[in-house]
Amino acid sequence: MARIVPRTEMTLVEKAYIPEIARGLKVTMGHFLKGFFKPESIPVKHYPEVEPFVPRDYRSRHRLMKRPDGEPRCVACFMCATACPANCMTIEATSSDDDRIEKKPSKFEIDQLVCVFCGLCVEACPVDAIRMDTKKMAFAADKRETFKVGLEDLMDWDPKDYPESDIQSQKAPGGTLNAQARKEWGLQ
Amino acid sequence: MSNFYHMPVLPKPDAKKVTINVDGADVEVPEGTNLVEALKTIGIDTPHFCYHQDLPVSGNCRQCMVETDGPRGMGLAIACYTPVRAGMKVATDRSSDKVKQARQAVMEFQLANHPLDCPICDKAGECSLQDNYMAAGRHESRMREDIGKLYKGSPEFRHEDAKGQERGGKHVDLGPTVILDQERCILCDRCVRFMRSVAGEEQLYINQRGDHAFLSTFPGMELKHDYDLNVTDICPVGALTGKHFRFRQRVWNLSKTETIDPFDSLGANITVEHNDGQAWRIMPRRNPEVNKSWISNRTRLEYQKLSKDRLTAGSFQKAEVPLAQAVARAGELVRGARKVAVVASGTLTLEDNAALQALVAGLDKKAELFSGSWAKVGSPDGIAQSGDPVGNRLGLKLLGISENLDELVARAKEFDVLLVAGHDLWALDAQKAKALEAIPERIVLSPWHDATTAKATLSVGVRAWAEVRGTMVNCQGRIQMLNAAPILPSPDLEPVWQVVSSIGKLGWTSELDAYKAAQAGIPALAGINYRGIGSQGRLLEGVVA
Amino acid sequence: MIEFDLPFILQCAKFLLAFVPLCFIPILIWGERRGASLIQDRLGPNRANIPLLGGLRLFGLVQNAPDGIKLFTKESFIPKHAHKFWYIVAPMIPLCIAFLTPSVIPWFAPMAVEGAKGIANVSGQILDADAGVLVLFALSGLSVYGVVLGAWASNSKYALMGGMRASAMMISYEVSMGLSVAGIFLIVGSFSLTNIVEWQAAHVWGIVAQPLGFVMFLTSLFAETGRAPFDVAEGDSEIVAGYFLEYSAIRFGLYYMGEYAHIAIASALVSTVFLGGYHMPWLGTEVIRANLGLVGGGLLAAIALLCIWIAYASNRWSNIYAKMNATDAAQRKLEYRVMTGLFSGLAVLLLVAGSALALFVHPQQVSVGGTEIWPLWVNLGTAAIQLGIVVAKTLFICWVFIWVRWTLPRFRYDQVMGLGWKILLNIALVNLLVTAVVAKLVKG
Repeated sequence: MARIVPRTEMTLVEKAYIPEIARGLKVTMGHFLKGFFKPESIPVKHYPEVEPFVPRDYRSRHRLMKRPDGEPRCVACFMCATACPANCMTIEATSSDDDRIEKKPSKFEIDQLVCVFCGLCVEACPVDAIRMDTKKMAFAADKRETFKVGLEDLMDWDPKDYPESDIQSQKAPGGTLNAQARKEWGLQ
Repeated sequence: MSNFYHMPVLPKPDAKKVTINVDGADVEVPEGTNLVEALKTIGIDTPHFCYHQDLPVSGNCRQCMVETDGPRGMGLAIACYTPVRAGMKVATDRSSDKVKQARQAVMEFQLANHPLDCPICDKAGECSLQDNYMAAGRHESRMREDIGKLYKGSPEFRHEDAKGQERGGKHVDLGPTVILDQERCILCDRCVRFMRSVAGEEQLYINQRGDHAFLSTFPGMELKHDYDLNVTDICPVGALTGKHFRFRQRVWNLSKTETIDPFDSLGANITVEHNDGQAWRIMPRRNPEVNKSWISNRTRLEYQKLSKDRLTAGSFQKAEVPLAQAVARAGELVRGARKVAVVASGTLTLEDNAALQALVAGLDKKAELFSGSWAKVGSPDGIAQSGDPVGNRLGLKLLGISENLDELVARAKEFDVLLVAGHDLWALDAQKAKALEAIPERIVLSPWHDATTAKATLSVGVRAWAEVRGTMVNCQGRIQMLNAAPILPSPDLEPVWQVVSSIGKLGWTSELDAYKAAQAGIPALAGINYRGIGSQGRLLEGVVA
Repeated sequence: MIEFDLPFILQCAKFLLAFVPLCFIPILIWGERRGASLIQDRLGPNRANIPLLGGLRLFGLVQNAPDGIKLFTKESFIPKHAHKFWYIVAPMIPLCIAFLTPSVIPWFAPMAVEGAKGIANVSGQILDADAGVLVLFALSGLSVYGVVLGAWASNSKYALMGGMRASAMMISYEVSMGLSVAGIFLIVGSFSLTNIVEWQAAHVWGIVAQPLGFVMFLTSLFAETGRAPFDVAEGDSEIVAGYFLEYSAIRFGLYYMGEYAHIAIASALVSTVFLGGYHMPWLGTEVIRANLGLVGGGLLAAIALLCIWIAYASNRWSNIYAKMNATDAAQRKLEYRVMTGLFSGLAVLLLVAGSALALFVHPQQVSVGGTEIWPLWVNLGTAAIQLGIVVAKTLFICWVFIWVRWTLPRFRYDQVMGLGWKILLNIALVNLLVTAVVAKLVKG
């Protein structure tokens, strides 16, 4: 069934075009004067000096969470590497010296150029060891190898950059709840 | 538990059939078999933990319960120890809620104090608890969070972890090859039965009774046996794990290639499990006629040799040369020689040996074929090894290659070129091999840097046993297939038959050409192609073992 | 014999006025980019800065410098099958015309100066010819050559198409351009632009006398300069850059600058013919000369007010930016503080200078050889003020050029040609006819 689109004929005034020009000029002049006298009304964000608004659940660069003694929470269970649809994670496991832990990663590498930032690794992890909430979106390097981030780079984050209400982050070394966590873990 | 159990009655292909009623339908099953096996023949899988086809039946896990009719009507009975009776009525979970509930209840009991170790347990992916939970369990947890899990087992290894949870023994060292995790053990008794009945040495036992039962070795003794790593296969959970494979790879990443062990003439059926161009472990394949479900530790750890000391290029006058150049040089030497001694090997496939035979035939009077082995022949251990380290001895005999290696040693001075393939002569007996050093040109085709390549004037790297496709005949007269796993250390490596074909200009392009040549020489192979051999091998007619 | 007296020196000095359109180019580029951006609700280029005192951005003016450096240092290539000579010469033509055309525009009123042979009249134009405007039209016509030669020499289909379209359009609109100002020529009775301005000073501005002529002339000028909505020559979405497709770096830069210079001259022409040129309603030439101090002071006061407003706007924006939590907040704060201080100081300076001018400058006529003429400094001061007036009017029309470009969508080529030949030409003829009848009736 065809949909008839009503096409109205141009009125004489519109056909003359000059009044339309005048109308158009008024609109543009209006925008110009508004931007000129009230520059704060221009919706331009002064990036990169002004931080852009990043939603709370935005999937940015990964970070590995830490236990109170600084070791990664990761137990090298390979759930994230198996869930990853892009096959970008390379993990190697090893025995931990800590009797309570058993297994820890000796190598944990994510190739950021291959990663599709789907967040499935975060969902798959059983121990909340990996998160994608660093809000770091723009990374540039001049060699492809630099984009393969390893264990140290993924643990290179400051608890001060994360909200106080994030209990798990704040329990990490340097966080405000570190003392409490160390007591819970018996690391006094 | 008592120490004497019966082996399960497995269905034989020519067994008499009886009619039973399963879930309201009449079916024909082999007579006298255990109900688990009978149901398997009609396609019904029964979840189980402690039952194993090749171990005596213990029946302690109670997971395999089905409803059968008895004097007081239908009632739950374990399928693994209930023999099939003509006219019996069986209700599986397809038609009985009671069976469903029973299986779920058993799962709940099993999982009640089982630790939450899946992320760090090596058995994840091939664990019976995981599989049976998905198939028969799926219950909602009724654990009380304030109490958590309990471990009432070994007091020596019982401890509390950082969160106040009772834990059992973690990574307890049982012996040189096996690690025990006491918490995970579901006390199915499989390992105890194995060591007692199959291995013959009772080195594991279950201490205490009831809630306090735990697995351990005898006091002051360790688990050490040539077949001890089989307990890691049969353990349904991750309680017993092998040290060689601990934490190295997750099993769902592994791809399987079916092949056989060439270093023993029984030819134990194995699977080489590999990922990303590397072999990670060897697992046994079930073959009731050859090795049942067992392989020796030596077989199991063969994969470690596949990546060590590999000869990936040629070496000529102590300098490394590309493979193609080395093969060309070998060809020139052999074809231009006055007299060539070619040594065939019993650890090579029929195809490789057929190629050597064809090479010698092509060179007419200038070449002579020798074979034999100085390796010591042991006696069969009755489990999965025959004791003879030459895997293809019967195959060589069928090809008509006589064992006359000592004759070569005596006549060494007659030859000016020696071609050895797949045979570490100098390592087996350096004294006798010293005589062979009289031969000026010694060409060695070997996958590894070994004593023989050290004494060679020209060595050529070839594929190892797990990287070739071919056939071997075991000591029972059974022809079995080897398949190639994609684990080559270098992409240029070729199988022995291909290198020999290049040397002798035979023009063979695939192992099927080599197999056809072998078929021509062995009448028993007539009409058998690779597909006809299958994954369980095929007994050759008219072959005396 | 050339006498090296005052009129001669002034005549030579007037040659510098030929550079006025060239000075317009950076202003126009800046105005176009920032103006277009503000119309489109965005900020234009505002990052290029002089790395002093926090990074002086000067509201985006500095951007011209890196643009120029880029154009100069880019690789200037000649395509393989291009006609080498004409490829190199063609871009030079529009810019050369841009130096020649300002010679007939009166930048200030004619002044009487004492020369070697008595009182000499120095006119505001460099070239004081009777056929003033015709010279300008003729030279404008020559700039078509730049387009056509460039297009043909590039040896590229797109360039050739763009060039043919551009030249056809420019030539057709020259006809309606000439005819639309023919009304003014009829009324004024002369081609010389100084006469036209004098007539406007005596009677009414051209836009009042010939409103239709003004609209048509402006439209024809849009087409003549190749500006939107008539930019079929460089229609990016249709023929990728048109006639300067194969040009890069400074060769393109020459075309670009030539186009902007052409716009400046066209605006100057419009403001001269229709907006009164150097004449302001209550500030005729003699009035300015007599009250130079007051006028000058007033002008400086007006500029001071502008500076005060700039200082206020800088301060206001500085406060707004400080609330945005930026990483360069400190630098920006310093920069805006500098700008605020600079412009406030400038405003104070100008106010002081203006008041000084108003209070202490009282021009008096002097007598030379019988006739009363104004002293040289009065003449020069008036000339400066009148130059400012012309520049201001030209800037206004340039802004109209920019404004219209970012308002109207491009016309189709057949619409462009139809407008030029079928509509504008006829209306111009009718306008001329009506003007002639009315003029005859009024004047007798």
